[in-house]
Amino acid sequence: MVYASLLSNRYLTTRVIPLIAVLAVALNVALVVIVVSVMTGFLDMLRNSGRTLMGDVVVSHEIVGIPHYQRFLEILAETDGVTAASPVIETFGLVRMPYGREGESRVEPVQVWGIDPRTLAEVTGYTEAIYWKAPDPDRLAGMAEDDPRREAASDRLDEAMSLNDEGAAPAMVLGIEISPFNRRTRDGSYRPEPPAAWMPLHDVTLSLVPVSSGGRISEPREGRFQIANEFQSKVYQVDSQRVMIGLAEAQRLLRMAEGPLYDPNGELDEDGRPKRIGTSPARATTILVRGVDGMAPAEIKMRVATAYDRFLAEVRDDPEAKVKPPSFPDIQTWEERLRDLIAPVEKERDLMNVLFSIIYIVSAGLVLSIFWAIVHEKSRDIGILRAVGASRLGVLWIFLRWGLVLGVIGAFVGLGIGALVVDNINAIHDAMGDPAPGWSVAVAAALAAAALAATIVAAVRGSLMHGLVWSLTTVLLGLVAFGLSRHEGAVMWDPSVYYFDRIPSRVDLWRAGLTMIGAVVFSLLGAAIPAAKAADVDPVRALRYE
Amino acid sequence: MSDGSRTPPLLEAVEVRKTYQLGATEVPVLHGASLEVRGGEWLSVMGSSGSGKSTLLHILGGLDRADRGRGEVRFEGASIARFGNRDLDRYRNRTVGFVFQFYHLLPELSVLENAMLPGLVGRVPFAWRQERSALMSQASDLLERFGLAHRLRHRPRELSGGERQRVAIARALMNRPRVLLADEPTGNLDSRTGGEILDLLAEEHRRGLGIVMVTHDASIAERADRTLWLRDGRVVEDS
Repeated sequence: MVYASLLSNRYLTTRVIPLIAVLAVALNVALVVIVVSVMTGFLDMLRNSGRTLMGDVVVSHEIVGIPHYQRFLEILAETDGVTAASPVIETFGLVRMPYGREGESRVEPVQVWGIDPRTLAEVTGYTEAIYWKAPDPDRLAGMAEDDPRREAASDRLDEAMSLNDEGAAPAMVLGIEISPFNRRTRDGSYRPEPPAAWMPLHDVTLSLVPVSSGGRISEPREGRFQIANEFQSKVYQVDSQRVMIGLAEAQRLLRMAEGPLYDPNGELDEDGRPKRIGTSPARATTILVRGVDGMAPAEIKMRVATAYDRFLAEVRDDPEAKVKPPSFPDIQTWEERLRDLIAPVEKERDLMNVLFSIIYIVSAGLVLSIFWAIVHEKSRDIGILRAVGASRLGVLWIFLRWGLVLGVIGAFVGLGIGALVVDNINAIHDAMGDPAPGWSVAVAAALAAAALAATIVAAVRGSLMHGLVWSLTTVLLGLVAFGLSRHEGAVMWDPSVYYFDRIPSRVDLWRAGLTMIGAVVFSLLGAAIPAAKAADVDPVRALRYE
Repeated sequence: MSDGSRTPPLLEAVEVRKTYQLGATEVPVLHGASLEVRGGEWLSVMGSSGSGKSTLLHILGGLDRADRGRGEVRFEGASIARFGNRDLDRYRNRTVGFVFQFYHLLPELSVLENAMLPGLVGRVPFAWRQERSALMSQASDLLERFGLAHRLRHRPRELSGGERQRVAIARALMNRPRVLLADEPTGNLDSRTGGEILDLLAEEHRRGLGIVMVTHDASIAERADRTLWLRDGRVVEDS
């Protein structure tokens, strides 16, 4: 209907009030795009961190472990789609830290990973996660004279890549958030305060509780470890709880290393000692597997499961193997493994979407009230249209189309604003973190002065409305100028609180698209009732009086 | 002028009754009004304020309906009460043209667009590109004939009362209707401008346009071929 297009376009371009509805829709869309994009980016960062931490697939049999795991690693090495695998022992322990009140020791409960650093680096981002590096000349110049990191011997820090496993002085790598003396700065880096509390200068004692292959708990065992370095996975729960030691040392402390296997029935040999019936194989509780880049984790998981079945069959057929691997270990992708961490954030994001739909209802209400007033005002025009032959549906379509165009414009403007903010969110955040520049205060003050002049002109002319609008503008701009002059910087996304040092800044286009569709639908819904009212206008009544 | 006695009626009202409901009160306006308009005839309907002149005009034009089962309006013998909504819209768009006392132009549209408006109704965007220039040319010709060639791009608020009424008449004639229904077309104009508007209607009448004009001014009614009187909702005199 040509006349409907002509009139709805003309109404849109000749009236100011509907632009308020466009602005409301645009701001709603921008708000949702910004919040949802940041939350999606946050989830992506969590996922990326998770994959960096554990590879693509995890095979685990907690506490008791998987015996003959070396044979499983050999089979995995022959498996198509698997590029690397690394054995790990996961357990819990207590670390006696080198600080605390005099005469006391601070004991931290920790999650202990016994690792093979070389293969772990092939599967995960272990090398990149090692935090402290030997200072280069540039960094040395920026350090205080008493900063212990100046004296950091690179071979001590590099022990993170060997952990002195099976050496005289085994080493440990701590999560960067375990030590309370690691202060996170605004740029996201860490600094030991006081410098003497820098962990790589110290030793700790680790206590572990061994569990036999039969699941029986033995006496706790202790080991002394040099702290070689600290690591940052960028996932707070990991960085604040996990310590890493060598796999062999972990096996030794937990009695999971290879050793003699005695008769479980308690029979004695000729010398009166427990009868040895074979060899107890070394065990690992977890095998981390990395697949070919681009292959779906579910596909890698399937291939790993097939490899495990082969491993199980081989060991069962081996008469020398007295201890058999578990029939049903947990085989999970990294995403399944991180479900507890990711699911709440996903739920929060979905909850945000639901909450923001309430804002859409508000904007639909705004569209409805604006259109209602316009239909009331335009009832005579509607009568004219009916008099020249326009149908009720045609009149309905004028206002529906108007609402549709308004929603579409608002949605695209909102996407533009949202994308602009998300793209520059870190720059905006950094600017908010600094005191306001002098020019911004001057501009705001100048605008306030101009608004004051306009207020005076309006008062002289006796225009109450213009006087009120300009005086409110003066007050608002004055407050902005005052606020800017007092602003000394506010950090909202504090890296010492959040997991990541930068705010995610990628627009979630899929959800932005859904948001835009929602905005258009709600604009249409808001316009629908006034449009129906317009279609119901009685042309005789509308045209009877001037 | 037409010879009304020989030509069969183009448009006729037969015993039309109309009652308005004002809250709980029923206000009868027409009590069985009947009239006939022949092709090319100029008919004046006179009556005092509130006599039902405008109501009769609206019912003749299909903008309003007579009370159900109480009289009917026929166009070329067919009762418009039997028209569906689409046919009634088409009847208002193609068969009749309305001119109102207060012009009733759309303020957002230019003079040319206002005049084109009935031509736009019923057009679909797909065919619009081909039809657009023909419609614009037709509306421009009409406005030029009415002395408004220099006002095509102006908005109604920029025109005088007489100019606005000429635009309204051009709009009413856009789809070449058979009958023009004019409700006090000079009622809001000074006598000189009113006279110009009546001259313009007379010119269109000479070209064969049928006109039903409602007025309460006898000197204006004299311009018509025939004059009817409406008193208390009935046609009481036919001069």
